[in-house]
Amino acid sequence: MEVIRLDHVSLWRRTQEEFSYDLKKTILNLVQGRYRSPSKKQILNNIDLVIHQGEKVGIIGANGSGKSTLLKIICGIFTPTSGTVRVRGKIAPLIELGGGFEPEISVVDNIIFYGILLGFSKQEMKGKISSILEFAQLEEYAEIPVKALSSGMTARLGFSIATDVKPDILILDEVLSVGDAHFQSKSKQRMDQLWQANTTVLLVSHDLDFLQKTCNSAILLDKGNIKFIGSVHEAIKIYLE
Amino acid sequence: MEAKRFNKVFFLEKINDIKRYIDLLEILVTRHLKVRYRGSILGVYWSLLNPLILTGVYTAIFGAAFSQYYNNSILNYCLAAFTGLVVVNFFSSCTAQTLLSIVNNGTLLNKIKIPISIFPVSIVFANLFHLIVGAVPLLIIFTLVTSSNILNALLLLFPLVSLNFVCLGIGLIVSSLYVFFRDLHYIYELIIFVLWISSPVFYPSEIVSDNIRPLLNLNPLVSIIQSLRQITLSGNTPDLSLVWSSFFSGIILVVLGLICFKTLYRKFIDLL
Repeated sequence: MEVIRLDHVSLWRRTQEEFSYDLKKTILNLVQGRYRSPSKKQILNNIDLVIHQGEKVGIIGANGSGKSTLLKIICGIFTPTSGTVRVRGKIAPLIELGGGFEPEISVVDNIIFYGILLGFSKQEMKGKISSILEFAQLEEYAEIPVKALSSGMTARLGFSIATDVKPDILILDEVLSVGDAHFQSKSKQRMDQLWQANTTVLLVSHDLDFLQKTCNSAILLDKGNIKFIGSVHEAIKIYLE
Repeated sequence: MEAKRFNKVFFLEKINDIKRYIDLLEILVTRHLKVRYRGSILGVYWSLLNPLILTGVYTAIFGAAFSQYYNNSILNYCLAAFTGLVVVNFFSSCTAQTLLSIVNNGTLLNKIKIPISIFPVSIVFANLFHLIVGAVPLLIIFTLVTSSNILNALLLLFPLVSLNFVCLGIGLIVSSLYVFFRDLHYIYELIIFVLWISSPVFYPSEIVSDNIRPLLNLNPLVSIIQSLRQITLSGNTPDLSLVWSSFFSGIILVVLGLICFKTLYRKFIDLL
């Protein structure tokens, strides 16, 4: 079954560095006739892509080739300038862990908050609280504000929430390894479980060995174009050339 | 047949979107309130403190000079100043927070797909909560004491709803523009001050010269303050033309805000 389909997707974005975020300057420029409309840059060029259920797809390419942008298009964060994106099922982006936490409120409140951001209902999240706390080994910290946790604990919490939600499509921008030795082995087990289940996984990584071991196909991006789709081995070979 | 099925799927998706929007709204509003009131004993009543203190200050300074316009009663002046301050204070703090709301959540918007409008809307709702637990009970008591008519107290709803519409409309406009112009908050401070001083909060509108006075009506807060005062302080049956004109300015601003937001929101993500 197809779960992700991109047809002729192109994306143009405004380049931020040239943009003046300044009302006074903009008005001055308008008055002096020096105003230029902001320039745009093509980030993705005519991407066609079909991904089936259960596929584990690695995305490789140089920095700035559009890897993360492609993931964001699939997540619906960016809307393509032209072309269509169709996605079936619930997507969970494993966002930079801890980035979305509100330091002033309690761990439990943050779990619910984070889960709702990921697209779950409040009821569903309430049912997951205890298993998330248990996996993160933070049962005693339930009512403590997140700012009181150590950075390792915060990362553990983020990982536990994001992987407890059992999405249909899992989006990973760089693989995560968090916590102490004990937690790392636990988190590895959980990733393996997600991997074995019928989850579709999209993974951006520069760790080519890891990609070769875990993915069954790969996409090579070059300056916003798909240079190659197919076996991981061949993609890596072309990439390294 | 196919079209029918498609419609049904589309409809279900819409329902889900609405449910998600409400869930998000609830969680953002409670987060906002929890962060704001963590560890403060007075909690939500802090938001009442500001208008109460300012009422005291204005009464002390201007009370004697202006009480002749209020049937020579310092108390009337005091109540008029308080009702005006509630409105103006709510407006300025609510819209100033809303202004920042989209830009402040830029990182989050770059990571997860969330409807952007949820951020300005949630700020307005959080402020509405303060208003309901803080000033509204006092306003209801004033109304019941002066008019002893429950209907008047119910009609209070209209100027308060209008006030929130005005805040939502202006909040949508300024939070959208702030994405493009990051020095907007300096300019907006000035705009708030102009709205403040042009609302007859601590002075009777009679002292403004006849040539200027019609200009004051351009300020959307003026009709709201007038309607609120007429209902809470006069004790007469509510003047429906005032109620209507305050409601009208609220609706106009919400529509303007929505138009502004709708035309701009697709461009936000490139600049966040």
